[in-house]
Amino acid sequence: MEINATLLAQAVVMIVFVAICWRYVYPPILAVMHEREKKISDGLEAAKKADDSLEEAKLAFDKELDQAKAKAAEILDKANTRASKIVSDASTKAEVEAEKIIASATTAIENETNNAKEDLRQQMSDIIINTTQKILGDEISKEKHEDILKKAAEEL
Amino acid sequence: MASELSTESYISHHLTNLTCGHVPVNEKAGITESFWTCNPYMVDYMSFWAFHVDSLFWSIALGGLFVFIFKKAIPKDIDSNTPPKGIQNFVEMSIEFVEDNVQSLFGSVKNTLIAPLALTVFVWILLMNLMDLVPVDFLPVLAGYIAFSLFGYNAETGSGVEWLTSSDSLYFKVVPTTDPNITLGMAFGVFILTIYYSITVKGAKAFIAELTLHPFGKWLIPVNFVLEMVNFIAKPISLGLRLFGNLYAGEMIFILIALMLFFSSIPVGIIGFGLHLVWALFHILIVALQAFIFMALTIAYLAMAHETEEH
Repeated sequence: MEINATLLAQAVVMIVFVAICWRYVYPPILAVMHEREKKISDGLEAAKKADDSLEEAKLAFDKELDQAKAKAAEILDKANTRASKIVSDASTKAEVEAEKIIASATTAIENETNNAKEDLRQQMSDIIINTTQKILGDEISKEKHEDILKKAAEEL
Repeated sequence: MASELSTESYISHHLTNLTCGHVPVNEKAGITESFWTCNPYMVDYMSFWAFHVDSLFWSIALGGLFVFIFKKAIPKDIDSNTPPKGIQNFVEMSIEFVEDNVQSLFGSVKNTLIAPLALTVFVWILLMNLMDLVPVDFLPVLAGYIAFSLFGYNAETGSGVEWLTSSDSLYFKVVPTTDPNITLGMAFGVFILTIYYSITVKGAKAFIAELTLHPFGKWLIPVNFVLEMVNFIAKPISLGLRLFGNLYAGEMIFILIALMLFFSSIPVGIIGFGLHLVWALFHILIVALQAFIFMALTIAYLAMAHETEEH
């Protein structure tokens, strides 16, 4: 149990081992550990960032979707209004056209009727004059009694 | 085991180191010229220059094992992309454990030596302590047979080592930490580092002031110096003796339990077997705890060497 040079030898051995550990063993292990630690924390951060941007993208997507929906509704509304307007315009136009057609037709009919009446009157006066000529001889001529004929025709 | 083995010789056999040393001239004992020897009967005549070969062998072997494991654990081609596996996990766990302890005791002071020192001390002492769990007779008996078959004394031819007359004549202690030289040697190494950092970090002046101007002020410098010196020297001695005492006592109990197996009746032997198991399980705790305490105190003493006390 005596103390001897073993003590000094052990102190030297210890210093040697500590120096080996300090210089060659410890730093590479620590370096690998630190590097991995950094990598992991970087990875976690990146994952968090990705999560955040996903959230953002979702929000943006929702917003865009809402906007699109609103726009679509607006467009639909406009289209509806326009369509009904076109329809109403068309029907108004058609009515007007129809009235016009009816009016011109009525005018044409009136003209025809008047023409026919004139013809009839002409023919009637001719017939009357002819008949009267035949009865009264040549005393009555168309030219001589122009005034009377005209009066009669107007009376007719 | 030789038949003439007594309880006393069994115990002393287990507590004696294989010592090689220098025997100086000793007229009284009839030694006329000095010489070097490993003869166990000459131990009493050896000078300070004697070495416990067994303790140093296991100490260096286990220290080498530590360096080997921790060096091999991280292959050269490894990078941070490779997930750690197997022994690397254990190694990184140890390092994290040590770093945590250094961090908590050392705080902000940056010294790259402290953590490797603490790691070396912890793992090395743990390995040396663990040798205690190898049944007490295995390695000494094995070493005795190997030594005897290689260098044993042959009376007919006169060859071999003179004092190695049987495999029992070789003493071989397996647990280095049950040798006070080993534990005090390490404490001495820590002590040297403490002094070195005290002087380099605080400055020689502040260090001397710390030893002399405290606790009674400058008018009682001699008293202060004696008191502080006792305090200063007691640290490494208690550090070394604490580890030695714990492990020596543990080893002693293992030897006494082993006696129950060898020198008693069968029932006592069976009880001894059970006791051995119980003590071994309990001893695992001591083994780890003492290694940890030595490491923690090493860090603490070095931390003290780094901080200037304020009075």
